[in-house]
Amino acid sequence: MNNESLYQFSTLTVVLLLLAFYGGTYLMTLGIRKKNEDADAFMVSNHRVGFGMGAASMTATWIWAASFYAAATSGYTYGVSGPIHYGLWGALMILFIYPFGRRFRKLAPNAHTLGELIHARHGSSSQLILALSNLLGSVISLMVNFTAAGALVSVLSPLSFQAGVIMAGVGVLFYTLWSGFRASVLTDFAQLVALMAIAIVIIPAVFFAMGGPTELVAGLDNLTPEQANFFSTDAILNQGAPFFVAVLAYAIGNQTISQRLFAVNEDHIKPTFLTATLGYGAIVIGLGMIGLMALTLGVEPLNGDMNNLIPQMVSEYLPPFFIALFFILVIGSLSSTADSDLSALSAIIMADVYGKNIARGKPDPKRMLFIGRLTMIIATVLGIVFASFSLDILVMLVFVGALWGAIVFPVIASCFWNRVTNTAFTTSVIVAMVMFCLARFELVPLTGMSGLFFELLASIGGGVIIGLMVFGFLGRILGILAGIAAMIAMLIFATDFLRDYTVLLASLTAYGTSTLVCVVMSLTSRQERFDFDTITARVGNYDEALDSGDRDTTTPIQTQPAASTGA
Amino acid sequence: MTLLFATYVLVWPVLTLAVLIVICRAVARDRRIAREEKRELV
Repeated sequence: MNNESLYQFSTLTVVLLLLAFYGGTYLMTLGIRKKNEDADAFMVSNHRVGFGMGAASMTATWIWAASFYAAATSGYTYGVSGPIHYGLWGALMILFIYPFGRRFRKLAPNAHTLGELIHARHGSSSQLILALSNLLGSVISLMVNFTAAGALVSVLSPLSFQAGVIMAGVGVLFYTLWSGFRASVLTDFAQLVALMAIAIVIIPAVFFAMGGPTELVAGLDNLTPEQANFFSTDAILNQGAPFFVAVLAYAIGNQTISQRLFAVNEDHIKPTFLTATLGYGAIVIGLGMIGLMALTLGVEPLNGDMNNLIPQMVSEYLPPFFIALFFILVIGSLSSTADSDLSALSAIIMADVYGKNIARGKPDPKRMLFIGRLTMIIATVLGIVFASFSLDILVMLVFVGALWGAIVFPVIASCFWNRVTNTAFTTSVIVAMVMFCLARFELVPLTGMSGLFFELLASIGGGVIIGLMVFGFLGRILGILAGIAAMIAMLIFATDFLRDYTVLLASLTAYGTSTLVCVVMSLTSRQERFDFDTITARVGNYDEALDSGDRDTTTPIQTQPAASTGA
Repeated sequence: MTLLFATYVLVWPVLTLAVLIVICRAVARDRRIAREEKRELV
């Protein structure tokens, strides 16, 4: 896909840039490397990662290559409000998870994955559903990031798409393999500093090179009335709303976030996530503005591919040095997310699959480490192979987000409400997935009574989303009131209307269905109410339990409360 | 209108710079505390 219309680096330049980036990153990790890493640190460091490192890591992880491309695409497609409708909701995913994150941390201060907490709460079936959704998300994320590397290398150099994919995959694996999460967090900081510094320079550079504010305002004549309107209904319904719906789903379904919730010093969770929210929003919305600039100038995306917009604008208006900076910007963003995905995948397989289901309470930390590293290698190979499919990024984002939507209510409710049962959790997710697929792929006609039925479920889903968001910050009573008010508003305004927006309808249906089924089944269950205090005792550190000599006892290793980590 | 759009585009890199400063200062503090407590940063 090499394109002569864009600036072309020589093969040597690109190889040197990648060697400098990945070589420098690898050298950084040597500073923290231990001959004998321990399994807990490999997954969540020491549970005491500070505010600065935590915020940097969270921001760098959440910004992936697709963030820039999709924000610019949104700016180009929806005009003035487009970048906001991508970046703002992405930022809110970080913000809205922290109140729930504090609860997760309080219940299981020494957990490594959210799945461990759910295992302690419900057992294997619920935990494996969550683990599966996390695995799916991380593998897709890995694939998307490697795809972005291949696309970038192929449009800016004579090298092939495959060469770019392989170099990125091997480079990321190289520096993450030995120290896992610790390497990921450390390198995230350096990658974020580079990423932010470049964004700070590139956005105004392109802006003034294209003619500055005068040219931008003059170009507004090229926009349709909807694109020129900051409160565009089109932008809200097609871009903003599906992402708003996904706010909680992405956060709950993503082990990269859970891992940082369990790794950051407990007292610093709030400032860490607030800062990451601001950082993510500023960078992504800012780079999305390049899409708006392209729109006002009447630029046509090269080969009709929206992903070419930013490289095109940078190539057109800036000298080669800035194009090299842009290259590093994208490689940095995709690598920081990919290394977090590798760490997340290894933690899921180590803790959720091996620790809880294969070793069944008697895990060997050394074997855990081996399994974690092996997972990273296999995941990298899979990511490289899948990357060759080059699937549509935006469609995938919405689809996976909706998939995660099905587990949001059962997961959150399980951590606050002692009546939720394992059967209610599992059944509600399965039913919600079926209903989501029926609506998303229009397997039933979304007209007449069936259309109305899905709109009713979607209205419940809308109420659940608003209710949970308010509940997280303002408590149960206001959460319930806000949820009911949102549901009533949806019933009034969305009926006979929402069916035209299939993605949104299907995503909301997933929320509504899982909530309805989970609540009804929990209320009708005669199972004994759950004691949340037992979770802390059931989720512990693997190495500390080993050190205390508990492995030879008949007591499962994870039932031993770990010694205080100071979190 | 021109000023409004200039602000709309340029406020994001300014905000990015502010966050970058906050994060760098916080990491320096994290590093100092880790050294004082004789433990690793991550």
